[in-house]
Amino acid sequence: MKNILEIKNLHKIYLGGIHAIKGIDLSVKEGEFLILLGLSGSGKSTFLRCLNRLIEPTSGEIIFSGQNVERAGGKSLRNIRRQIGMIFQQFNLIKNISALTNVLTGKLGYVSLIHSLGFSRIKNDVNLAEQNLKRVGLIDFKMKKIRNLSGGQQQRVAIARALMQNPRLILADEPVASLDPATADSVMRYLGELNKKDNITVICSLHFLSLARKYGSRVIALKDGEIVFDGSPREIDEKKFKDIYGQEAEEVEIR
Amino acid sequence: MKKKNNVKSIIQALIVDLLFWVYILGCLSYLSNNWFEFKVEYRYIALIALVLTLLFFLLGDSIGRKIFYKSKKTFKKWFKSIWGWLIVISLVITFVVGWNLVEVNPYKFFTKFKNAGGITSGIFNPSIVGYKLTENSFEELRENDVPLIILEKLEYIKNKSYTTKKVFLKDLEKKLNENELINYKSSILKYAQKNSNMLNKALNALAETIFLALLATIFAIPFAFILSFFAARNLMPKTFIGNSVYLVIRTIATIFRSIEAIVWAIIFSVWVGIGPFAGMLALMIHSIAALTKLYSEQIENIDPGPVEAIKATGASTLQTWVFAVVPQIISPYLAFTIYRWDINVRMATIVGFVGGGGIGLLLLQQQQLLRWHNVGLIIWLIAAVVWTMDMVSAKVRAKLAEM
Ligand SMILES: Nc1ncnc2c1ncn2[C@@H]1O[C@H](COP(=O)(O)OP(=O)(O)OP(=O)(O)O)[C@@H](O)[C@H]1O
Ligand SMILES: [Mg+2]
Repeated sequence: MKNILEIKNLHKIYLGGIHAIKGIDLSVKEGEFLILLGLSGSGKSTFLRCLNRLIEPTSGEIIFSGQNVERAGGKSLRNIRRQIGMIFQQFNLIKNISALTNVLTGKLGYVSLIHSLGFSRIKNDVNLAEQNLKRVGLIDFKMKKIRNLSGGQQQRVAIARALMQNPRLILADEPVASLDPATADSVMRYLGELNKKDNITVICSLHFLSLARKYGSRVIALKDGEIVFDGSPREIDEKKFKDIYGQEAEEVEIR
Repeated sequence: MKKKNNVKSIIQALIVDLLFWVYILGCLSYLSNNWFEFKVEYRYIALIALVLTLLFFLLGDSIGRKIFYKSKKTFKKWFKSIWGWLIVISLVITFVVGWNLVEVNPYKFFTKFKNAGGITSGIFNPSIVGYKLTENSFEELRENDVPLIILEKLEYIKNKSYTTKKVFLKDLEKKLNENELINYKSSILKYAQKNSNMLNKALNALAETIFLALLATIFAIPFAFILSFFAARNLMPKTFIGNSVYLVIRTIATIFRSIEAIVWAIIFSVWVGIGPFAGMLALMIHSIAALTKLYSEQIENIDPGPVEAIKATGASTLQTWVFAVVPQIISPYLAFTIYRWDINVRMATIVGFVGGGGIGLLLLQQQQLLRWHNVGLIIWLIAAVVWTMDMVSAKVRAKLAEM
């Protein structure tokens, strides 16, 4: 299978001088479910945001399905971003508007401002948004304000918003870190389904090894901005685990 | 005596001392001019100040030395040092000069209260009768054998402003002799007053003020709305152009905001003429500046999460503003805008005093005519409106906060 993403010698040095990403090389195949592990501060969020340039990388090369990301600007950057869905730990939905409108914003990368100002009246988009809400099991909540939804429901709305982009890749930055274990698993199940059924490549940072084993097809571990492990989830034994998380760490099982 | 005091602190100390002496001598010369009509020329003041500065500096205990020299050696109680007494003296002089400038006069305060009797009784006894001449009163005057020449004049001023009528009546007073005065003036005044309705007039002026404030607010909204995006740190790119735009808008808004609406009203009353339009322009300018600041601070406080998420969908910058920023700020914007209207109604009254039209202008006119009962009526009306606006805007803002 061909590579959807190729990263060469990626560096990110923040303004204050913190070297958050130190020369990452990585190829991601189409259809992979890539889990990103690593301690707090190891650079997971920075790495994911460099991929769609929410954070400007300092140097290196990022190729997304043949297009050069780090050199793209204006229209071509928008064109790349709209093919990459993104899901956040804090959901990042607009709290005081309806679930349906939030999902519709996923379409913004495809339309002009004039068009988008009237988009609530565009039948096709609304139908698609409703379909996507149905997929995450929230069609009954479409008119509810985000503020009134639970954390798990909000994250599912965020998934529906990402689906609206018809993405080829989804970046998920600790999507379940603020959810209880059962809800976390159900949200991961939706991501797993998108990966299997729609063949959307997923890169997802996590803190739970059990979820990584259950859903991941490949695991990468970051430590101080460098890749310290790259392999199948089953390969992570106690020793590897301690390499990633430090000698004192114990694995906490969640089911 | 020579410690490690560098040249910079010596100069700083000398400048402070010099300014201090110039101030003290300036105050003293003002007082001598005021009390003994003895004027001291500026160059002598400067000269004496210079001498005193050097003198006290060399004595080693001046105020400038105290501030800029960090000597830990001898700690003297302030009342045992020269600088301490200099400060006490300067405070006393400042107080005396202030008392003189403000013309403080406790005697007047306690003995001349009866001067305010007119307005006090006006406030507690507001009239709803004004001084407008109507057709009816005109007819009655004719029947009362008021001379034709006066009637013609009355006809002429019938629809003129209050000030004109006032002048006319004053004139009448001068021209008529004792007898005529007794015969006609009272009846003219009586009829002139009886049939007109001050309440109507005041309510009209009040409506003018409220709508003036409303229009000023509404016209200010689009300007402030658009400017606020460019005056928000988190939306402007951290490039040279981004920073410049941010700085220029913020600076202009701050300057315009620090110029009081009353000053704008004076400018515009010359520009477009006295009246509500001048008042509206004045309040509008002030509101644009104030709202731009409030709005942009609101933008700086938004949750950056949705902005990031919308950007990630491939939305353009403008789309990000419309879909991630606007929904987050709309209800605080509304709250601020209503609050602003509330403020504008209050300011519109003041602005009316300097030519901005509305109830303020009416109040000024009635006050100059010494119609204390009308003044009383207007004061009550203003109080009622301000109170109502205050209540309503507080209620609406509380509702918006829940949204
Ligand atoms: N905007 C920023 N400016 C400066 N330094 C930053 C910034 N954001 C992150 N960093 C630093 O970069 C390093 C990597 O941070 P990052 O947020 O990518 O880690 P992470 O693995 O996502 O951590 P977590 O699990 O807590 O989310 C940290 O040392 C952090 O302090
Ligand atoms: Mg993170």
